[in-house]
Amino acid sequence: MSVDSSVQGIFAAFEAAAENPLASSRAWKAANGTPVVGSFPMHFPGELAHAAGCLPVILQENHEPITVGHGMIYPFYCGYTRSVVDQACKGDFDFLDAIMFGDHCVQVLGAADVVRAKLPNTRVHFYQLISSMSDPWSHSRARETFAGLKEGLEEMIGRTIDNDAIRASIRLFNRNRQLLRKLYDMRRSGTSPLTARQMQLAVKSSMVMDKAAHSALLERLIERLEATAATRQRGVRVYLSGHFCQAPKLGILDLIESCGGIVVDDDLYHGQRYISTDVDDAGDPLDALAKWYLERNLKVPCPTRVDQNADWETYLLGAMAKSKADGMIVLMAKFCEPHMYYYPEIKEAFEAKDVPHLLIETEHETTALEGIRTRVEAFLEMVKRQTIAKAAAAARLETGVV
Amino acid sequence: MGNFFNAAEVPVVKANRLQSSSLNNRMVNDYWTEVFNAKAEGKLVCWYEGVAINPLMQAADIRWVHGEAWSALLAARNNEGPAQEAAEGRGYMKELCSYARTHIGCGVLAQNRGVEASGSSFSDALGAGLLGERVPAPDMFISAYPYCSTGQQWDEMLYRLFGKKIPIFNISVPWVWGNKKDAGYLTGAEFKEATAYMVRQLKECIKWIEQQTGKKYDYDKLSEIMAYTKKAGELRMEAIDMCAVKPAPASFFDWTTSLAPVNFVPGGPQIVSYFETVKAEIAERVRVGEGAIPNEKYRLFWDGIMNWNKIGWLANKFAGYNATMVAGRYTHMGFWHEHECIDVNDPLEGMAINYLVCPINLSAPLMIEEIIKLCKKFEIDGMVLHAARTCRAFSNPQYLIADAVQKRLGIPVAMIEGDMVDESFYKDELVNARLEAMMEAIEGKKRMIIPNAA
Ligand code: SF4
Ligand code: SF4
Repeated sequence: MSVDSSVQGIFAAFEAAAENPLASSRAWKAANGTPVVGSFPMHFPGELAHAAGCLPVILQENHEPITVGHGMIYPFYCGYTRSVVDQACKGDFDFLDAIMFGDHCVQVLGAADVVRAKLPNTRVHFYQLISSMSDPWSHSRARETFAGLKEGLEEMIGRTIDNDAIRASIRLFNRNRQLLRKLYDMRRSGTSPLTARQMQLAVKSSMVMDKAAHSALLERLIERLEATAATRQRGVRVYLSGHFCQAPKLGILDLIESCGGIVVDDDLYHGQRYISTDVDDAGDPLDALAKWYLERNLKVPCPTRVDQNADWETYLLGAMAKSKADGMIVLMAKFCEPHMYYYPEIKEAFEAKDVPHLLIETEHETTALEGIRTRVEAFLEMVKRQTIAKAAAAARLETGVV
Repeated sequence: MGNFFNAAEVPVVKANRLQSSSLNNRMVNDYWTEVFNAKAEGKLVCWYEGVAINPLMQAADIRWVHGEAWSALLAARNNEGPAQEAAEGRGYMKELCSYARTHIGCGVLAQNRGVEASGSSFSDALGAGLLGERVPAPDMFISAYPYCSTGQQWDEMLYRLFGKKIPIFNISVPWVWGNKKDAGYLTGAEFKEATAYMVRQLKECIKWIEQQTGKKYDYDKLSEIMAYTKKAGELRMEAIDMCAVKPAPASFFDWTTSLAPVNFVPGGPQIVSYFETVKAEIAERVRVGEGAIPNEKYRLFWDGIMNWNKIGWLANKFAGYNATMVAGRYTHMGFWHEHECIDVNDPLEGMAINYLVCPINLSAPLMIEEIIKLCKKFEIDGMVLHAARTCRAFSNPQYLIADAVQKRLGIPVAMIEGDMVDESFYKDELVNARLEAMMEAIEGKKRMIIPNAA
């Protein structure tokens, strides 16, 4: 595949994969003969599937209206699970060689049962990851689970996966995460004025593309960006939080920026959450993956886990300060239970510290962007005034003129 | 025909409820009294939800508050409002599990009033003079929720709500999914591994309980409690089996009011004698041919979780249709129904197995086989699937279940939307229309008329 190596050309390649993930992985399979292993978000170690010679692809919510899926799942489920069921019912997953997953959000489990029923000839395997992260046996259980997954993959390919192969895959995945984190650093520091849309395309395409090919594009992109002088951006610095299994609609990201916000950082799964943590590439790889799984939750706490050593709200306040964000916009996928549970904790912590935030509930179907626009505009306006007032108060304190 | 099943024309018929169920109320009241008096009697209190792990606490002389039981009690006494509002006030959204919202709402109320100020109790939680007067705040949490991530998070949010100061123990319950070919109900390598993993965790939990009480754990007491529990489970299943006759002497609705003794009431001679009485009453009904409703013409199956706000209304509604709700997933596929697996001398494995095969923790193919067995055994004519809006755990496999029973047994189904304890999710007209359509399809089948051709 030859790619136009201009910045626009690279983003066009990312977009092609991110917006049509199944077509892109199907094409990869056709061209390379690689089996494709689909997985559900958010904690599947693609490294193992890669080491087994497969292309790991994180199955995505698509933009299609839910039609046949309506006959298999109730409407009061999150957009991700409904979309996955709909895609399975439409036969979109038929080309996958296997679907493997480890997360047990109750809605995903419902979708998984339907997916298995609709794909009688596909391996749909579940390796339940312990979601209680701070127990004395959390590490050993996670390791056992990854060992089970490795066995399942071995059974599928008919040979054993050796540790060196896993370590090589780990290195490849680490490299990709490092490059993506570099993009984040560049945006946070203002070196590179990347939009929220571009960041999503970069991360989301990494979830579905071959990692080596993706990293090659990232390297070129970073080179190009470093060679370009940054133009200073003006606007309200916004931190984006929320949206787990599904990528926020690009239209919403564009809207926030068109209303005068600059997204400087996020904890989105299609963002920082996905790339936050590297896996140790020495020693026993299953141990390293188990360690990664637990550490990742301390780096960017996940509300689908229970962890006595992590506080999502504390993390968010810290991340806001680090990225010098002035306000936070919370994107909540409608019906997402883990998010609904944790939101009051966040709300309380942010109100107590007087840090402004705005909650936006998103849906698979509707893009009632106009209503959202009004709220975002009002929010950004309020944040702007508050920021100016705070700066003035700080200046008065400094000069002693109170 | 057609009009017979129209809601406006269906006669109001009172179901012939089991007399012995009323004995259950006494046990439940005694249980709550013990809970209310816990602090005064110097007992530690554990909050938990989900499967019946209470024997673990009982053996250590700890009192327990079962979250769902508490929420259901509030709803049954029309007392859920203040708690649900308090939860909403803190930002918990309506689409969250209504049991959890109600229970967490109690926690919010307690926090608002100050746990210390009210002597570590919920004395003000539900307003003066109301039900919640003396429900004690927790000294510990044990979380052991099968299948439903929302259950595990419910405990976690309570833990956080109480300032992360109260110790919590998490038991991770594996879902019975079945990757391997040998996977079956109660069998296969994966099931064995899951059981062993559960037993390991239960043992760790017992060690943790010892730390909380400062006393050596009384395994003999656990055996004694489990002996009563096993016997109660056995009697209950025997009595349930007796309902295969026509007319069915007891209904699903009767069984829902008989759950407490195999769910959260302390294990002891009283739960055994309760099911002896129930069984005797059923035997007598079988002898004289007395049914759970006055005139049984149809037999139905209830899939899904209970809906405590509507249970009486529904029981009478089906009686009006001359339809006995004979069996259900909730009542017949859980609550120590696999009593045979319990070895009272070493009960942990049997307990683990019962937790693993509770009515939500089987993946759809395994669950469907169990449901089909029940439908055949009880000669079911139709199935009502209660899609509880905020309990996705129960709602998850319902399309697959509906599809399977329609295709394999040829029985009509009705899917109705509702909820466990949030009444606002009901639309009576919609429920009526769906039920009418199903009843007409059943009647059509009985008359050998092709549906829709009449
Ligand atoms: S975590 Fe939220 S978004 Fe993901 S499957 Fe569960 S409900 Fe859906
Ligand atoms: S959603 Fe259902 S299964 Fe899950 S915690 Fe609530 S009542 Fe229990």
